[in-house]
Amino acid sequence: MRALGATGDGTDTAGTVTSPGLFRAVPLPRGRRRAELIMLAFAIVVVLFAYASVGLGLNGHVPTGLATYGLLFALLMLAAHLAIRRLAPWADPLLLPLAALLNGLGLVMIYRLQEAGRNGNPGNPISTMSASTTTFQLVWSTIGVIAFVAVLVVVREPRMLQRYTYTLGVIGLVLIALPALLPPSVSEVPGTGAKIQVAVGGFSIQPEEFGKIALAVFFAGYLVAKRDVLALAGRHVLGIALPRARDLGPVLMAWAASLLVLVFESDIGTSALFFGMFLIMLYVATQRTSWLLIGTSLFLAGAFLASQLVSHVGLRFSIWLHPFTYANVFCGSPTVHVPCVPSYQLAQGMYGLGFGGILGTGLGHGQPYLTPLVQSDFIITAFGEELGLTGLMALLLVYGLIVERGLRAAVAVRDPFAKLLAAGLSFVIALQVFVIVGGVTQLIPLTGITTPFLSQGGSSLVASWMVIAVLMRVSDTARRPAPQPIQDEGMTQVVRGI
Amino acid sequence: MNRALRRVALACLAMFLLLLVNANYVQGFEAGKLADYPGNGRTFAQQYQYQRGSIITADNKPIAESKHVSGVFSFQRHYSGGPTYAPVTGYDTPYSKTGIEQAEDKLLAGTDPRLAVRNLIDLVTGKPRKGATVQLTINSAAQKAAYQALKATGRPGGAVAIDPSTGAILALASYPSFNPNRLATLNGKALNKADKEYLNSPQQPLLNRAINETFPPGSTFKVVTSSAAFSSGKYNPDSRYSAPTNLKLPNTTNQLINFDNSACNDGSNPTGNGTVPLIYAFTVSCNTVFGGLGMKLGGSALRGQANAFGMNTELRIPLKVSVSNYPRVSDPALTAYSAIGQYNDTVTPLQEAMFAAAIANRGTLMRPYMVQKVIAPNLTPLVTTQPSVLNHTVSRTVAGQVARMMAGVVAQPYGTAHSIVASLGGITAAGKTGTAQNGANNTGLDDAVFTSFAPVANPRIAVGVVVKGGGLGADASAPVAVQIIKAYINYLNSSAKR
Repeated sequence: MRALGATGDGTDTAGTVTSPGLFRAVPLPRGRRRAELIMLAFAIVVVLFAYASVGLGLNGHVPTGLATYGLLFALLMLAAHLAIRRLAPWADPLLLPLAALLNGLGLVMIYRLQEAGRNGNPGNPISTMSASTTTFQLVWSTIGVIAFVAVLVVVREPRMLQRYTYTLGVIGLVLIALPALLPPSVSEVPGTGAKIQVAVGGFSIQPEEFGKIALAVFFAGYLVAKRDVLALAGRHVLGIALPRARDLGPVLMAWAASLLVLVFESDIGTSALFFGMFLIMLYVATQRTSWLLIGTSLFLAGAFLASQLVSHVGLRFSIWLHPFTYANVFCGSPTVHVPCVPSYQLAQGMYGLGFGGILGTGLGHGQPYLTPLVQSDFIITAFGEELGLTGLMALLLVYGLIVERGLRAAVAVRDPFAKLLAAGLSFVIALQVFVIVGGVTQLIPLTGITTPFLSQGGSSLVASWMVIAVLMRVSDTARRPAPQPIQDEGMTQVVRGI
Repeated sequence: MNRALRRVALACLAMFLLLLVNANYVQGFEAGKLADYPGNGRTFAQQYQYQRGSIITADNKPIAESKHVSGVFSFQRHYSGGPTYAPVTGYDTPYSKTGIEQAEDKLLAGTDPRLAVRNLIDLVTGKPRKGATVQLTINSAAQKAAYQALKATGRPGGAVAIDPSTGAILALASYPSFNPNRLATLNGKALNKADKEYLNSPQQPLLNRAINETFPPGSTFKVVTSSAAFSSGKYNPDSRYSAPTNLKLPNTTNQLINFDNSACNDGSNPTGNGTVPLIYAFTVSCNTVFGGLGMKLGGSALRGQANAFGMNTELRIPLKVSVSNYPRVSDPALTAYSAIGQYNDTVTPLQEAMFAAAIANRGTLMRPYMVQKVIAPNLTPLVTTQPSVLNHTVSRTVAGQVARMMAGVVAQPYGTAHSIVASLGGITAAGKTGTAQNGANNTGLDDAVFTSFAPVANPRIAVGVVVKGGGLGADASAPVAVQIIKAYINYLNSSAKR
């Protein structure tokens, strides 16, 4: 990875040694697509090895689908790469390989869990999984890559999205509020009490995943327009410039909206994601620390209130504090008579992590299926068990790199709207990983949200690919070389891009 | 905005660092603690990933083996002997162990430090860990005979056979017994059912009556009283001693009587006011003679002799043996009762075998043991038990005197155990019967007790049998001992021929 210019003007230093000499050959900035291809091939090889390893670990032979599934996956990622060559040739070369690695490893782990079955009995699938779950997930990956390409095709320039600030704001709000408005039979995730999905006929999507992107666009557009007003300082208290009271409006509205999500959908995780994203974008837009302090205290107060009022949320806290008190009780069991605190899942996840230790059991050699819903919220514990601390840290670093590349694009791009959008989306990935990985490793209270790219489920996967597409579009814009004069001054200029 | 963006990047870095540090803590430092939580299913499933060592008899018959099965648990414990060997092997469930399975668990599981070097070599060469084989001193012929004979009585009881010259336990049977295969099942429901059934059964099949239940020794205790008397130097088998029909006891209106209130008459004592030789009193088991003799010797002398035979002593073979009890007694009347094995005297069937074993081995009581050797997976012996002396109970002369009396019990036509001669098939045996009264006011069914050794000239086996509620020792217990003696002597003869 090469450092960007200190000015952060978004062009590779190697490619932008513009010389005053008129007729000296100017080296073209490099898109680094070949580096991307090599890293992508590496990611695909890692995934294929993991896939073979699962088969060897479980059945003692390489899975029969290695050729077909492997080829499909490789072709899919290659298609994404070719699309980037055409649509965003200057984009960051790391993002696609990183996303492909995560997506592929997620597929492998889901295949592994599907093959092992419930309690390790093949043919008796884990609840919410079936014999064709991996195929479905591969189909969702395909849809994800199509969505990825579609975003690159439609959004040729980040600024274009700014035009739809309010439209997307409304769409985002509707998508997020939708599950709360629908009857629980349609919107409640069985066994969790959280109303976050729209399920029709065995097919379910979680609209908030897409709402997240729409709202990021809305926040970016809104804040770019209002940042000057919001940045106006009021009184100074303890060295902190507080905003004027009349400017508190939007923050309070976002806070109220996130609380409504929390109360009506019983989903503290999503609520934290949205509010966190909004706060960070507000902070980046205004550079006022006071907004962060106000926002964080508002959220903590709201969360505390909710933990007192909403039993579902309050329970999460007691589980977090005492995960092993009732760890032996599986609340899903019909014979459970003791007061049931559903910490079974968290405890099982922790046991799995402990069992994996430093080096892990190896793919196919652990018992991740003992943890309920391990294929969605708890998939990171499955990786921790079978790939060990080593594998878990590698995965966290992959996420860290995605966030870093996204933020780097935000720093590099000039357009404030694109800057805010990339910052918000990058941060929300970091926050999401923090909330779910921290939750399953008992760092913070557990809230059920998906692990980007890894968890079973289509909405999260497709939305994650779309986020990567937006980040790549921003980075493409940032790294695209400025239009070069090809002739003497006074002659006609050819403008590249727009 | 870039200054704020860089701070956001730092915040993201902090979040990922927190996750990484926490993952290190959980998987690196807390793993051991997590593995020890009682509800951790992964820990106990791990026991079944490796082949546990076998338990084999002295004649190389496997009685507990781990066989490879498919599924979560790679190995299933199988007990080929079923209830016959259950009191020896115990059982091995995912939750608990008993018997040799518990006493030699670390060696069987392969986690014993003595196997560490071997495990390391296996780890390097890629071989799976394997447990050590435990070879017992149990002889399959004697053990089968013991269980079958006890079962034939239809009453609860225990039988133990010892090689008098080494202390090696040749048979250790208990009836009613249980089927350890039912407890070794990996099916949770079936295990639960079997566990409940065995625990709630009024027959107490899980109770190891050979070493963990105590019974009144009855007249078999006259072996100890005689030993104490001869050791005092004042008596020999031919000494005549007062043999009243009713022995008046001091400070109580109770009188000690003989069995069926009969006189103790060898022809020289028709009135019941004279004396009989001690050997005659022993052969027909006169209570009044030994009651009086006991009072004369005193409680502490009897206790000293009883302790020398291993009573009031904690013992591990390596299974924990219940302590056989001879109380501290000073009251003359109670001393009289204790001298004939009543009052608070209690013994295990193992203790009964030890009485005869000590006499058979010329007064030297060898420490009873059940594990012959432990064989590492590469067939090198890890541990070999060397016979050791537990106590010198009586002198050679005294042992010879007591042995002569015991031989008379079987050989003399008027001896209490003469009835077994016919079934012995030419083998000479020596013994002492006991018919122990018990229950409140002796209303319970008498326990049948028998202690014996064979052959008389060159003892190879000592047997102790207790059949609860079996009535006369000669009727219920002696035939059991005969079966064990015959089976073992026949085994010795046939293996000598080979």
